[in-house]
Amino acid sequence: MSDKSKIKSSHKGVATNSLMPRTQMPLRTLMISMTVMCYLACLAIGALLLITRAVDDWTSEIAGEVTVQVRPTGDVAMKDKLVKAAALLKATKGITRVDVLDKSAGEKLLEPWLGNAEVLNQLPVPRLIAVGIDQVNPPDFEKLAKQLSLTVKGASLDTHRRWQSELTRMGSSLVWLGIGVLALITLSAVALVVFASRSALDVNREVVEVLHFVGASDQYIARQVQWQFLKAGLQSGLIGTLAGLVTFFLLGISSSVTSSNGLAEASYSLLIGAPEVTIASYLLFLLVPILTTLICLIAARLAILRILRNAI
Amino acid sequence: MSNSGSIVSLQNVGLRYGKGREVLCDVNLELKRGSMQFLTGPSGAGKTSLLRLLFLAKRPTRGLISMFGRDIATLPRKGLPELRQKIGVVFQDFRLLDHLTVFENVALPLRVAGQKPADYRENVIELLGWVGLSEYADSYPPVLSGGEKQRAAIARAVITQPELLLADEPTGNVDPALALRLMRLFKELNKFGTTIVIATHDTNLIKGATSPVLVLNDGQLGFEG
Repeated sequence: MSDKSKIKSSHKGVATNSLMPRTQMPLRTLMISMTVMCYLACLAIGALLLITRAVDDWTSEIAGEVTVQVRPTGDVAMKDKLVKAAALLKATKGITRVDVLDKSAGEKLLEPWLGNAEVLNQLPVPRLIAVGIDQVNPPDFEKLAKQLSLTVKGASLDTHRRWQSELTRMGSSLVWLGIGVLALITLSAVALVVFASRSALDVNREVVEVLHFVGASDQYIARQVQWQFLKAGLQSGLIGTLAGLVTFFLLGISSSVTSSNGLAEASYSLLIGAPEVTIASYLLFLLVPILTTLICLIAARLAILRILRNAI
Repeated sequence: MSNSGSIVSLQNVGLRYGKGREVLCDVNLELKRGSMQFLTGPSGAGKTSLLRLLFLAKRPTRGLISMFGRDIATLPRKGLPELRQKIGVVFQDFRLLDHLTVFENVALPLRVAGQKPADYRENVIELLGWVGLSEYADSYPPVLSGGEKQRAAIARAVITQPELLLADEPTGNVDPALALRLMRLFKELNKFGTTIVIATHDTNLIKGATSPVLVLNDGQLGFEG
């Protein structure tokens, strides 16, 4: 068999091996760390989604209802006051519902502070009217409050606006906190990739030198390394995200196994609920592997080029 | 200032590593295009350092180096690969990549230059046959003997038919018969216009030199013959 035929009969004889030996890359450590980062990022994103949805639900519930409080004054019968107030409210534009709550509703609210019903019976407990609001065309609350106090003695309007703004403020603080956590995770991920790139070049110093000597440019060498980082990033991104999704899924289905709780229901609706919610959730979760891959690719390339600039 | 007929020109070149003493002092050298020169001298005289300057692994700490008509001192980093592709180097320690097969090692400069395997396959196979490594094409360097590694390193250095070939002790690990064969390969390349510098202690090789031998002694370059 001639020399040529020997080589032709072999499956190799063409360049097939990667120029940078993958086995010598510190990719396993990077992958483990990046997977954990992605998992944490998914938890942070999930938490952000849950908080945002919860705050939205709470504020829209609060915004959809106001309460009128009618205090007993002695000179006019409570029943008359309630009828007057209800009539005024019903005649006001932007009000969808007027429910005069019975006496026990007010007493129930005071019970935790004042004790049993016997004590409450002796006290002039105010009566409450729950008022549904058309959120698209709400009434002029200031004007309504004035009219109420003028028409019904001892009546006042509680719009819950203070609670609403408190909730919104708390919600947005938590959202910013979540964004901060995500930013820190991103920063750590970049630092990890930079460190791993440096290690990859250190481990393969001899390979890099030979590549330089045979005329490879820095960009060429960076390309050989960056694709391995890209693959590692994609794999860790997918595994981390999958683990995150499984966590929320398990949290979600735990409501049917154990007693129902708010977090479980919210987690369930995040992934398996209404399409308008789940699509947004999945899109956000999908960003994690995409961004992880990009971080690995770009950070590795920039770090490698920077290091190579100081090489031979 | 480079002479139009010279491929390499060194003027008052000095080189030191870090803050140590100068390992090359006031080296002046003109390598004519198509010449073949031997570089000799005792161990530690600076032969490898001079070669490192010539294959652009180092820049001089002083003096002027012009290669292929380009001033190396002012050459931007991105210009180095283009010049290095014109240079073939045989390292004393071979510098073969252990994770690549012998075929892949020899084809490396072509692969880096962007050629497709289908375009260079035949050339690499032919050269491997020439250096007697055909049967090792799919082997990895760790299983080769010193002499076989040497031949693979030489094949890698000459596969691109470089304009300048620098060889550091290229026959140090091969038997006399193969040494002669390799020298014939160098001479063939030289005939086709490749400028060759061979650093060696082998007096048998130097005996056949037609141009003055470059002799390095304690960092100073002189000529013999």
